[in-house]
Amino acid sequence: MKYNDTGKVVGLVCRYWVTPYKISVLSLLYEMTTSKIALQEKRRLNKLILPLQQGPDLQLGQFLKTVEDCCPQTAFAVKIRLNEMADGELKDMEFFFTTLPNPTFDSEAYKTSVVGLFIRHMLLAYNKLSFSQVYKLYKSLQHYYHVYDAKPVDGQMGVPTFVADDSDMDLTSTEVTIGDKMERELDSPLLISELRNEDPVSRGPLSQKQAEYFLAKQAYLLKNDDNKALRPAKLQEELNNMLKFNPDFAEAHYLNYLNSMRVQDIYISTHSLLHYFDRLILSGSEGKSNGDEGYGRSLRYAALNLASLHCRFGHYQLADLALQEAIRIAQESNDHVCLQHCLSWLYTLEQMKGSDSSVLTEDSVKMAAHFCLPYLASLGIQSLVQQGAVQGKSAHELMDALKDTDILHWKHSLSELIEISLAQTISIWRMYGKSTMAQQQAQLLLNMSSLEPVNFGVTQNNTEAFAVALCHLAELHAEQGLYGGTTEIFKHLKEQFPPHTQHAKLWMLCDLKIQFEKHMNDGKYHLAQPLVPAIRAQNKTEGLYRKAQVLKSLSRTTEAYRILQKLQVHCEKTRCTETIIRVLLSTAELHWESSDFSTGLPLLLQALTLSRKHHLQALASRTLLHLAFTQLMLGVPEQALSVLHEALEPILAHGGIMDKGRALMLAARCQMALVATRPNGREQAAVAIHTLDEAASYFSTLNCKERLRDVRYLQARLHSSLGQTAQRNRCAMLFHLLDRELQTPRAPTDMRL
Amino acid sequence: CLITPNLKMAALCSEFGDLVQIKKQLISVISLCKERGLVHSVKWASELAFALDPLPKDELPPSHLVSEEDVQDLDAFALAKSYFDLKEYDRAAYFLRGCHSKKAYFLYMYSRYLSGEKKKDDETVDSLGPLEKGQVRNEALRELRVELSKKHRAGELDGFTLYLYGVVLRKLDLLKEAVEVFVEATHTLPLHWGSWLELCNLVTNIEMLKSLSLPSCWIKDFFMAHIYTELQMIPGALQKYQSLIEAGFSKSTYIISQIAVAYHNIRDIDQALALFNELREQDPYRIENMDTFSNLLYVKSMKPELSYLAHNLVEIDKYRVETCCVIGNYYSLRSQHEKAALYFQRALKLNPRCLGAWTLMGHEYMEMKNTSAAIQAYRHAIEVNKRDYRAWYGLGQTYEILKMPFYCLYYYRKAHQLRPNDSRMLVALGECYEKLSQQVEAKKCYWRAFSVGDVEKMALLKLAKLQEQLTETDEAAQSYIIYIQEIFSCGEQLEHVEVSTALRYLGQYYFKNKLYDEASLCAQRCCDYNDAREEGKALLRQISQVRDQTETPSGELFVSLSDNNTPIKRVSPLNLSSFTP
Repeated sequence: MKYNDTGKVVGLVCRYWVTPYKISVLSLLYEMTTSKIALQEKRRLNKLILPLQQGPDLQLGQFLKTVEDCCPQTAFAVKIRLNEMADGELKDMEFFFTTLPNPTFDSEAYKTSVVGLFIRHMLLAYNKLSFSQVYKLYKSLQHYYHVYDAKPVDGQMGVPTFVADDSDMDLTSTEVTIGDKMERELDSPLLISELRNEDPVSRGPLSQKQAEYFLAKQAYLLKNDDNKALRPAKLQEELNNMLKFNPDFAEAHYLNYLNSMRVQDIYISTHSLLHYFDRLILSGSEGKSNGDEGYGRSLRYAALNLASLHCRFGHYQLADLALQEAIRIAQESNDHVCLQHCLSWLYTLEQMKGSDSSVLTEDSVKMAAHFCLPYLASLGIQSLVQQGAVQGKSAHELMDALKDTDILHWKHSLSELIEISLAQTISIWRMYGKSTMAQQQAQLLLNMSSLEPVNFGVTQNNTEAFAVALCHLAELHAEQGLYGGTTEIFKHLKEQFPPHTQHAKLWMLCDLKIQFEKHMNDGKYHLAQPLVPAIRAQNKTEGLYRKAQVLKSLSRTTEAYRILQKLQVHCEKTRCTETIIRVLLSTAELHWESSDFSTGLPLLLQALTLSRKHHLQALASRTLLHLAFTQLMLGVPEQALSVLHEALEPILAHGGIMDKGRALMLAARCQMALVATRPNGREQAAVAIHTLDEAASYFSTLNCKERLRDVRYLQARLHSSLGQTAQRNRCAMLFHLLDRELQTPRAPTDMRL
Repeated sequence: CLITPNLKMAALCSEFGDLVQIKKQLISVISLCKERGLVHSVKWASELAFALDPLPKDELPPSHLVSEEDVQDLDAFALAKSYFDLKEYDRAAYFLRGCHSKKAYFLYMYSRYLSGEKKKDDETVDSLGPLEKGQVRNEALRELRVELSKKHRAGELDGFTLYLYGVVLRKLDLLKEAVEVFVEATHTLPLHWGSWLELCNLVTNIEMLKSLSLPSCWIKDFFMAHIYTELQMIPGALQKYQSLIEAGFSKSTYIISQIAVAYHNIRDIDQALALFNELREQDPYRIENMDTFSNLLYVKSMKPELSYLAHNLVEIDKYRVETCCVIGNYYSLRSQHEKAALYFQRALKLNPRCLGAWTLMGHEYMEMKNTSAAIQAYRHAIEVNKRDYRAWYGLGQTYEILKMPFYCLYYYRKAHQLRPNDSRMLVALGECYEKLSQQVEAKKCYWRAFSVGDVEKMALLKLAKLQEQLTETDEAAQSYIIYIQEIFSCGEQLEHVEVSTALRYLGQYYFKNKLYDEASLCAQRCCDYNDAREEGKALLRQISQVRDQTETPSGELFVSLSDNNTPIKRVSPLNLSSFTP
C-alpha cells in the first residue's frame, strides 16, 4: 500500500514552448493540409496526430518512422521541409512560420479544434520569442536535424530494431503500437548519462513531459514488475541526472525512495522520502484551490509513509512512533480517510509484532465501510480471515467472508485485492489439506488476466500474491514427487523475483524446505543438515523444527527431544497450531525409537483433537496414521486397521505421495499381522502383497530406496509364507540389490512408520 | 616564465623567519597574477604584502625577466590584455590565437573560459523552456578540457594553466581529476592562492586532506588554517592563525577576518565581535564577511550597531550580497520580517548560491509562521551545501512547530551529525524524545548536551525535570545540584533561570530524606525568589515542627549560610562524581 503520487503532475505548466520536435509536428500538419493524400493514408495520419501532439518529444528518426508507417510520401515531404530549414538559413525557418495555415479561416484546422489550438499556441509562443531565442531555436533545430541526418547507417529511418515485429501494424493498432514504441524508445534515448558520455552530440534537452513520462513509467514498472524497470544503480544515476538539471522535480525524489527500497538502502530511502515530502508540502501550499488543506494533508501522509518505511525495514518501534504521530495529526485535522489508512497500518504493525490485533482490525473494517473505502475495508477483512484461519474459525465462515469481499472487489475492479484473495484461498485450502482445491485455485490465479490496464507491455504479475501461489504450487508438485515441475517453477520464481527483491524470501524458504524434505526422504541426512541453518535464517521456528527432525533421524534423541519441547512451548505461546501438531507427532515418533509406544498415545490424541478442531485434514490423517501404527505395535491390528481405514481415503485423495506410500505400507503390515488370525489367511496375504505393490510404486516415484527395501522385504516374506518361491526369490533379489546399494544397515522396520 | 622556477625554489626553502623573502615572493606573484588577469589572487597576495613591512628600494625584486617568446608576443599580448580587461573575451582570444609564450597561452585559454561563462550567464536569462534552465552549460568547457588535457599529458602546462585546467575539470564535475590537477598546480606554483582556494572547496573531509601530498611552503599554513575553518575544526584553525600572527602577519586584515569567522563558528561571540570591530577600524570600507559580523550583532541584539553597519554598507555598495544580508538581519531584529525576507531574496537574486541567505530567509519565514516557505528555503540551503547544519536544524524546528516530533528527529540527527559537540541540537533531540515518551534516549541526550558544554544551560534542568517525572528522586536531586552549581559558577545572569524550581525540589527532597539542615537551607534560599517564597516558608514551618519534636538543630549551619554564596556545594551529602544517568 503506497501513496504513490508519482504520476501526478505538480504545478502543471500551461505555457507552451516551441521545440524542434514541435516544428516537425507543425510541418507534418502543414503537409497534411496542403498536399493531396489518399483517403486511407489520411485517416491513418489523423489518428496519429493526437498522440504526436500530446506525447513527449521524440527524436526525429522515430518521428519520421512513425509518420512513414502511415504515409511514406508525407514523411518524405516533411523530411525535405526540415532539411530545407536546417540546411538553409534562419530566414527559412521564419518563412515557415509565416506560411503556416492560419487556423481562423482554414476549414480543415478550425480554430477551436485540437489541431487549430495547437497551431495557434505554437504561433503565439513563437511570436513571443526574443531575437536571441529565435536564433537559439534555429540552432537547436539544426542540431535536431543533423543528429538524425548524421547516422543514416542505422537503417533508413534510424530505428530498425522493431521494423520486423511491427511490420503488420495497421489501422486498428496504431495507438497501441505507438505507446509500445515509445516505451521501447524510451529505454534507449532517455539514458541521459549514456548519451552524454558516449555521444554528446545527440542529446537534446529533456523536456518536462519527457521527464514526467520517464518517472511515471519507471514508477509503474517498479510497482508491477521491477525486473523490467532499470537496474537500481542505473535508475539512481538517471534520477541524479534529472535532479541535477531540475532540482524542483520532487517526484524524482519519490522514485528515488522507491528505488532505494529495492536495494534495502535505508539511508537513501529515508532521505529521499523526506525530501520528497518537503517538496510536496511546498507545492501543496502554493497552488490549487485547497491551499491550506493540501499542505496539511501531505504532512499527515509524510508521517504515514515514514511509518511504512520503518515497518518495511522491520523497525517496529520507530514505525510505531511515526504512526502515532500520523494518527495524532490526522485526528487534529479530522481527516478520516488518513486516519483509516493509519488504522490499517496499525493493525498490520501489531500483527507483525506478533500480538493479537483482531479487535483493531474489526474496528478498521467497520470504519472503512462507513467512510466508503472499499480497498481498506476488504484489506481488513482479508487480514481478519487470515487471523481467523490461524485461530481455527470454521471454514465456511472464512470462505463466506472471502466470497463477500470478492464480490466487492469485482464491483470496484480492485485487481490487486482479487489476487490477494485468491492467494489466500490457496493458502487456506492448503492448510486444510485439500491439495486439489489449492491447485485449482492456484491455476485460476495464474491464468487470470489482470484487470489492470496493460501499460508498457507489462502485466502485473510480480505481486506477493503471485509469489505465494507459485510457492504453493511448487510445494504441491514436490509432494507428488514431480521434482522436474518444481525446478521449473523455481526457475520462473527466480526470474520473476530476483533474490534482492522484497518477496524473494518466500520462495527461498520454500525452496529450502523442499530440498530438505527431499534429502530426508532419500535418507541423505548429511545433505539435509547444512540446510537447517539456512532455513533457520529465514524462519526461526521452522528451522528449529527441521533441526529436531535431522537430530531424530541421526538418533540423537535427547537433543531432539529437548528442541521439540522448547518448540512446543514457543508455539503454544504464538498459537501456531500447525507446528504444534507436527511437533507432537515428532515427539511421539521419538518415543517409538525407545519402543515406548504407549507414552506416545496421549500426545497423538492431543494432536488429533487439535487438528480436528482446526480442520487440518492432512495433519489429522497423518495423526491417524501414527495412531494406527501405535496400535499395531501394541498388538491390536484389527483396531489399527479400522483406524487406518478412516485415514486412508483422504490421504489417497489429497495426501502427498510419501504419505500415500506410508499409509499403504502400514495397511499391508496390519493385514500381515491379521493373516495368522483370520480364516482366509491366504487371501489376506495376497491382498497385502497387492497393497505393498502399490506402496512400492509410490516409493519408487520418490526414489525412496530405504522404504522400498522394506517393502521388498515384507513382500518376500509374504510370498514365502504363501509358498510362491519364484516371486519370493525375485523380491529377495530386489531387496538384496537395494541393500547393497544403500550400504547402511537396515533399520528395524517395526520401529518405523 | 623564467621567474617561476626561481620563485618556487625560494618558496620551498624559506621559513617564516625570513619575512623579507616572503614579501619579495608576494610582490613577484602579484605582478605575475596581474598580468594574467587573476584578480582575486592578486587581491589576496596584495593584502598580505600590505601587512608586511615595506622593502627598501634596492631590495625590490627585478620587475621582469623577459623571454624571447614574450618579446615576440608582446604587442599582441598587450592588445589582448586590454580587451580582456574590458571583458571582451572573444576579442582577446582572437588576437592571442597565434601566440606561443606561456603567458599568452594562459590568457588565451582563460579568455575562452570566461567567454563561455559569460555566455552561460546570458543564456540563462532567455532560455526556451522551463526545464532547459538547468541545462545551460558553458559550451567552451569541453573543448578547453580536450586541449588542456593534451598539453597536460605532454607536460607543457605551467602553474597557471594547471590551475585553469583544474577549474575546467571542476566545472565539468570531474572532481577527482580536478583535485589531482590542483595539487599538481600547487606544486608547480605554490604562491598562487587560487589553486589552494579551489582545493579548499574540493576537500570534503579530514581523511581526504591527509591523503593529499602538498608542497611544504609557508603558504601551506594559510591553506591549512583555512581548511580547518571550513571543516569546522576550529581549535586547529585558531592555533594555525595564531602562529601566523606570531610569525609577523599581525597586521593582515585577511587573518583577522578569518579568526573572527572562526570564533563565530564556535559561537565565541565576544571574541568575534572584538575582532570584527578591529577589522572595521583598519579597513572601514570592507564589505566581505560583514554578513557574519551582522549575524553576531543580531545574536547579541545590538540594534544601534547593526543599524549603523547597515547604513554604512549601503553607502559603500548597496548591490552586494553581504549588504543585503546585513539589511535583512537588521529588519529581522526590528521584527519586520517581511522586509527582511525581501532583502534576503534580493541577496539570492544577486547570488543564488549564497548559502547564508537561504538559511536566514528560512528563519524569517519561520518567524512569519509560514512553515512551508521556510521548509523550501531550508531545503534550498541544503541543496547548495549539504553540510549546513543550521538549515537541517531549521527544518527540524519547522517540523517541531508543526507538532511532528518523530518526523523532526531525522533532521535534528542530521544537524547533530554535522556538529557533534553542539548542545543545541542535543537539547532539541532530547526534547523530541521526551515528547515521544522515549525517556531513556531523552536522558542520554540531555546528559550529553551537558557534557559537551551546554550553551543555554537548559539541558540539566530538563534532565532533572525528566528524572523527577520518572520518580528517580536521587538522580533528579543530583542533576538539580549540578544545575545550581553551573548557574552560580557561570556568574552572568541568564534568562529562563529556574533556580527556584531546583531549590524547591531539593528542599522537599532533603526534607523527605530527613536531612533537615539541608532542607531548611534550601527553603531559606527559596525565599529569595518571588515564585517560590510561599513554598519556602511553608517548608521552613514544617521543618521547625519536625525539629521541635526531635532535636534542636546545631547553630553551625547558619554561620555557613551567612558568608557563603553557594552553600549547596558544601552541604551536599551526595557524591557528585559517581553520577551518571
